[in-house]
Amino acid sequence: MDWSLNEIEGLARKAVRGAGYGWGHAEEAGKATRWICAAGWPGAELLADLLTRLDGVAYDDIRPESCTGPWRARLGTLCPLITGAAICDLAPRWASGETLQLGAVAAPLFLVPYMVWSADRTGVPLMLEWPGLKIIRGAGQTGIHLPDPATLSLAQVEGATLTPATSVTGLPLIRAYRAHVSADPAARLQQLAHRTYAPETEESRRAGAGAGLSDND
Amino acid sequence: MTQASPPTIAPRDPNVVMRLARLGSFHQSRLSFMRQLLRRMAAEQWRFDVPAFEIDSAGVGHAVYTAHGPERAYSLVAFSHDLPPEQRSDRVIATAWDATFTLFDGIPTDADIARLRGNVPKQEAGRISDRELSLSRANRSVRLWNHVIDALSEGRQPDQSLVDTVGYLMRTTAVYGSGKFGAADREYTRHRPECAGPFQIEMLSVYLTRAFVMDLVEHMARARAPLTAVPLDPALRRRFGIGNSTGLGMAPFLINHPQLLNAWIAAREEALARVRSLPTGGAAEVEAFRTFVIRAQMHAQSWSSEHPLQVEKLDALRADMAALATHLSQADLTSDYPWNRLWLWAQDHLSMEGQEQLASLILEPHGTIVDQLASCMSAEEHTAWPIDGTMPVSDLRGIVEDVYGWALKIDWTDPAPCARVWYVSEAKLEPRLGQRFEEPLEAYEQPLGPGRDAARLHAALQDTEATTTAAFLLRRPEFRHIARRAQMAARLPYAEIRDNTLDARMLPIDMLRLKLSFFGACHFDPRSDRWLRINMYQHAPFPHELDRVTGDDWTLPPLPLAAE
Repeated sequence: MDWSLNEIEGLARKAVRGAGYGWGHAEEAGKATRWICAAGWPGAELLADLLTRLDGVAYDDIRPESCTGPWRARLGTLCPLITGAAICDLAPRWASGETLQLGAVAAPLFLVPYMVWSADRTGVPLMLEWPGLKIIRGAGQTGIHLPDPATLSLAQVEGATLTPATSVTGLPLIRAYRAHVSADPAARLQQLAHRTYAPETEESRRAGAGAGLSDND
Repeated sequence: MTQASPPTIAPRDPNVVMRLARLGSFHQSRLSFMRQLLRRMAAEQWRFDVPAFEIDSAGVGHAVYTAHGPERAYSLVAFSHDLPPEQRSDRVIATAWDATFTLFDGIPTDADIARLRGNVPKQEAGRISDRELSLSRANRSVRLWNHVIDALSEGRQPDQSLVDTVGYLMRTTAVYGSGKFGAADREYTRHRPECAGPFQIEMLSVYLTRAFVMDLVEHMARARAPLTAVPLDPALRRRFGIGNSTGLGMAPFLINHPQLLNAWIAAREEALARVRSLPTGGAAEVEAFRTFVIRAQMHAQSWSSEHPLQVEKLDALRADMAALATHLSQADLTSDYPWNRLWLWAQDHLSMEGQEQLASLILEPHGTIVDQLASCMSAEEHTAWPIDGTMPVSDLRGIVEDVYGWALKIDWTDPAPCARVWYVSEAKLEPRLGQRFEEPLEAYEQPLGPGRDAARLHAALQDTEATTTAAFLLRRPEFRHIARRAQMAARLPYAEIRDNTLDARMLPIDMLRLKLSFFGACHFDPRSDRWLRINMYQHAPFPHELDRVTGDDWTLPPLPLAAE
């Protein structure tokens, strides 16, 4: 189906919250999913797969254990939503020339929007790469080196690197205004989003929205 | 254009402005969004036509109202239905309406109309596309609708007092925009000058809806009695606005869009500070202001509500307007910072209703220094949300103490300050407000209580060993949401409502009124503590009259002819 980006962002935010993340991470993941879909990439599909794989996993097992040295997760695989947010929080460090080495990370494409926001925040171009993909952001432009499009949908890579870049090279990214999401991942995200909705009772229906005087006048 | 001298009086303190009782006393002003829209369309000489009006004598069919701007056209596609009375409800749970609408980007083809006919009447249950910019519906005010058709079909004008009492023939309920139900996202249109301001698409949709509704009622009177029916007298016709019923769904918007809230309030506060900073009052401005005060007094008189809280506020407002008139009969408004003197007088003599009405009124004659601020009322929301993780924890704590000082004084172990819980219901996916200690809702709580969250963050920051915000948040991710808000509010003084949105006594209608006043709505009429009715575009020129309008002077009721 053809979705507006607002719908995708809202669905992703709720799904991430429904999967047990805090509202802050959920808000950022919603924007990240929107960004990926606006790049014409399979953001909703990747998110549905990621959240399914991580459902029930403890937060402390998939976050960077520490923000010094190479970032690794206690359980082995970093969650890109948590890792991406931490990358963005620390944007001035990457702008000052520091290189970030990441250990194994799930759905690495989800790191891209956070890298983009980091570069935009400081104005210093950054490059994110893992085997098969290199993506550079600077001056509001995104350049891609992507020999194999299958790399976009990787469920996991064993490592990724974030470094300062000098200039934006590669194919320029063209933005899209709609997202095309197939039925299964959309249903999976809706299932997760559903966890954030309070079950309806007749009492809550009446009281919650504030019935009052008649409106048939 | 005259240039304002640099303001010498600073905008008001957010700790004064951003309290719910005050925000819930705001009035429309020159900066309101429907006034921005009409100013633009009049200045750019927009042209309007009705390429289709295919509606039968029972009022069933469709119509297209097209607004032609300098570069692009926008069309309201209206579907009119024959709704059984028992199905007429303004609540979001309704499934059928008297009329349904979409604002089409351009001029629709027959194929577009056919597609829309299959979807727009279903509203939330249908699907629109990126060719559409909004989706909305409206119900008749049955008593006024019937009265107007009866009168016009018999060759009479309707009773003005009944027209004034109700104020509109139809009221819209939801007006959805920005990508809802498949519509185009805001980023698709926001680079167009006519769409750059806030809610301009929605305001245009409602403006054209009013024109359609008035044409429809005249059409149905003619259909009933072709030989005797008369159209509405143009002056009486302008006394019809378009109603709107608004519920809780609108309240979270303000908390979820802190940058936008800041932009709106900051523009109004800057405008107020600019006028207060004028060393003298010009003769024309003073004369215009005195007339606006008389008209505002008429507006306060004609504003009715049955809700006890609003009745009390209206009594206060009417007393305020009388006190203001008395004061003005002797006050000098020409010298010695006259607007500031007037403003300071109001602080001691008027209720919050009156103070905020005065704030809007003193902007009225000062379009040359006020209207340009309209361009500051949108926000690039994607730019300001990253968290500065390098901020020392001590600085974050300082921000929390500064922005949320009011919340740190509250005893959050007491049930009353956190009695409410905002949640989204399974049935309609709409925001709701429940009782934390009476219903099992806490697990579904939406992040709409920044004060309580800030108090919790403050306590956690006292205990942490982390020295940077990033290190703290990596271990305590539940605070990312409020940490972001705090950092944002430190940069944007009016981004945060500085009041408790979870309190047992909190009135959601205060948040609704804040937002609706920026839309430009009048006649707030609460129907409970969480939904209300308003009137939009009452007294506004119709599309075919826009080219005859001079200035931006339509919102308050016109003076009786003899007094003009």
